[in-house]
Amino acid sequence: MSSTSVYPTPINAFKQSKRSVLSVIVDNEPGILARIVGLFSGRGYNIEALNVTVVDVKKNLSRITIETLGEEKVISQIIAQLEKLVPVHSATNLANLSESYEAEICLVKIEFENEEQDQKILNFADIYRSRTVQKRQNIVVYEISGTSERINKFLDDLDTIGGIKVELVRSGPIGLGI
Amino acid sequence: MNNENEFTGADILLKALKDQEVDTIFGYPGGAVLPIYDAIFGQNFLKHVLVRQEAGAVHAAEGYARSSGKVGVLLVTSGPGVTNVVTGLTDALMDSIPIVCISGQVPSHLIGTDAFQECDTTGITRPCTKHNYLVKDVSKLSETIHEAFKIASSGRPGPVLIDIPKDVQFAKSKYISKKDISFREHRIKAGSKNVDKNFVKELLSHIKKSERPIFYVGGGCLNSGHQASQELIKLVNKTNIPITTTLHGLGCFPGEDKSSLGMLGMHGNYEANLAMNKCDLMINVGARFDDRVTGRLDAFSPDSIKFHIDIDQSSINKNVKVNFHTNTDITLTLKEINSFIDSNNIDFGDKDYSNWWGQINEWRKKECLHYEQGDEVIKPQHAISRLYELTKQKDTFVTTEVGQHQMWAAQYYKFSKPNRWITSGGLGTMGFGMPAAVGAQMANPDSLVIDIAGEASFLMNIQEIATAVQYKLPIKIFILNNEYMGMVRQWQELLHGSRYSESYVDALPDFKKLAESFNAVGVRAKNIAELDDTINEMISIDRPVIADIWVDKKENCFPMIPSGAAHHEMLLSKYDKENPENQEKGKVLV
Repeated sequence: MSSTSVYPTPINAFKQSKRSVLSVIVDNEPGILARIVGLFSGRGYNIEALNVTVVDVKKNLSRITIETLGEEKVISQIIAQLEKLVPVHSATNLANLSESYEAEICLVKIEFENEEQDQKILNFADIYRSRTVQKRQNIVVYEISGTSERINKFLDDLDTIGGIKVELVRSGPIGLGI
Repeated sequence: MNNENEFTGADILLKALKDQEVDTIFGYPGGAVLPIYDAIFGQNFLKHVLVRQEAGAVHAAEGYARSSGKVGVLLVTSGPGVTNVVTGLTDALMDSIPIVCISGQVPSHLIGTDAFQECDTTGITRPCTKHNYLVKDVSKLSETIHEAFKIASSGRPGPVLIDIPKDVQFAKSKYISKKDISFREHRIKAGSKNVDKNFVKELLSHIKKSERPIFYVGGGCLNSGHQASQELIKLVNKTNIPITTTLHGLGCFPGEDKSSLGMLGMHGNYEANLAMNKCDLMINVGARFDDRVTGRLDAFSPDSIKFHIDIDQSSINKNVKVNFHTNTDITLTLKEINSFIDSNNIDFGDKDYSNWWGQINEWRKKECLHYEQGDEVIKPQHAISRLYELTKQKDTFVTTEVGQHQMWAAQYYKFSKPNRWITSGGLGTMGFGMPAAVGAQMANPDSLVIDIAGEASFLMNIQEIATAVQYKLPIKIFILNNEYMGMVRQWQELLHGSRYSESYVDALPDFKKLAESFNAVGVRAKNIAELDDTINEMISIDRPVIADIWVDKKENCFPMIPSGAAHHEMLLSKYDKENPENQEKGKVLV
């Protein structure tokens, strides 16, 4: 076993890699998603989650939400690069807004083996106010939404129940500034 | 059906080019652009220059654009026609050159079937253009072309590609002229037209406070237009602040002026780099803190307050954090600075920076560009110096290939006007110079156009000499022939124990005979006694000339900041030894 250091080792003390959620309004035209994804891969940025949908049919606008990791300098550079793309109207870091709301939706299918597990699952679902989508025999499907962190916690809690099988899908975060 | 107001896609393209005042197009025909070539056959406003390979077309369009300030245009076919221009598009993107590339595509119904000469053109060129289009509907064609020209030339300029499937070239629609198009502002990204007055005030107050200011000027000044350079000259003369330019900034400020410290960076002048290192105020005008300029970043100009004028927001704080910045056009900003000085009667009379200039003059005494010319073998530096002396009275444009000769050209040829110096900086594309000279000569038929070349680079697009001959373009190819990929050999000497792996260019052609076989003219200088006569002969011939100048094979390009070193750690000659620690770190860099 390795000994414990007498002083803590700072991890990334100078390079604070932060999670950021970027909201990008674009003209809904062919290739726009490829442009954005290509920008991230070509310049070595990460995409943790991505969501694209048309939000204004009349004006032909889509909103793309990207969760990414990087120190502040990198995030500013990503935004500047995004805003250079021709079809991009605006790119905003939600963290820079004075007020913004974030949500993610997650569907979880859980297979349990006994009554005890079912009770525990039900208990957690109740605490997190997740909606039952379907329940039959030993399978239950829940819908839970909120910040990604909230969903992570719910999933962590489920993890403490031994012996169940979990399959899930997540939308990735979306967000809106006020 | 035969509506008089409707035109084929090919005709719409030609109408739009006419509307955009395009008079020259560089291209190479093929199956997917035949309808466009048919339309070109039946008109006379547009001069088509047939290149010998599509790479030649794109570099020619770059040379045309850089030397004329207009948008360069090229036309290529689908598949290999397009893949051959990828290097040139990337080059234009890196160096902010406005070009529009029209490419043919297989008919719409064949797209995605792996048809003959099909490739995913927009996919391949997406990261190497400012923007690109696949036009699937002929009714959108006029608008797309006009937007493409607008985007290519607005804000920070760059290459734009329009891919047109063959069936769209045949299909008919109305033509919409340029004046009837209303551009959507968010797509054009022209940059702010409002000068940031606070920036101007801050800058002037810092100029007054500073002891060691410097202007650091890049290609953005060139792209802002000739007026930017006029305003810059005014400002430098008013303030007596020293000025250094990047490779692309050469010519924005007269190279022989007393305030000019010449080029900075890896092969820049000692005084320019030392001044950047020691300054207390840096005024960056349209430069992007490129790694060839900054050297090791953590030691870059440690004590200066930095101001940055750049139309491209993403250039701000990308490599180097600055204290003040503005994204407004350089011409507008410099104009405001000058008029603020005038209207507020700001007098710099008491502020002559005499200590600073004294220090700079000490650095100048190092004579970093000194070389010893013997009486037999031609030194490459001397060849450029003589070329400059013998051509400086003429209306001259200089293009280059990439390598040692390019750096010597930048060091020893002095430019007094913008747009006279056309070189591949960001991408460093060997084979750029000769086709670029073809383009520059097309735009400036009465001027002297010289491609300063190395023999290795020249061979990369050698085929374009036929283009020059066909169109009677009297370009001069001035080859500093040392039989080596000189810059590769220099790095191998400095960093890899002089193991000259694959950098000797064996089996070179006889350039004189080569010229003759193309119906061009070949001249040669083997020693110092023949140099001036050869240069004069080259200039006097009104045809394409290849001048084969035999230079010292082992000469290296100095001064030099080795990769991984800082501005003040320059090597001035082969006798200077590099810090071994830097050497190991630098080895892994480019």
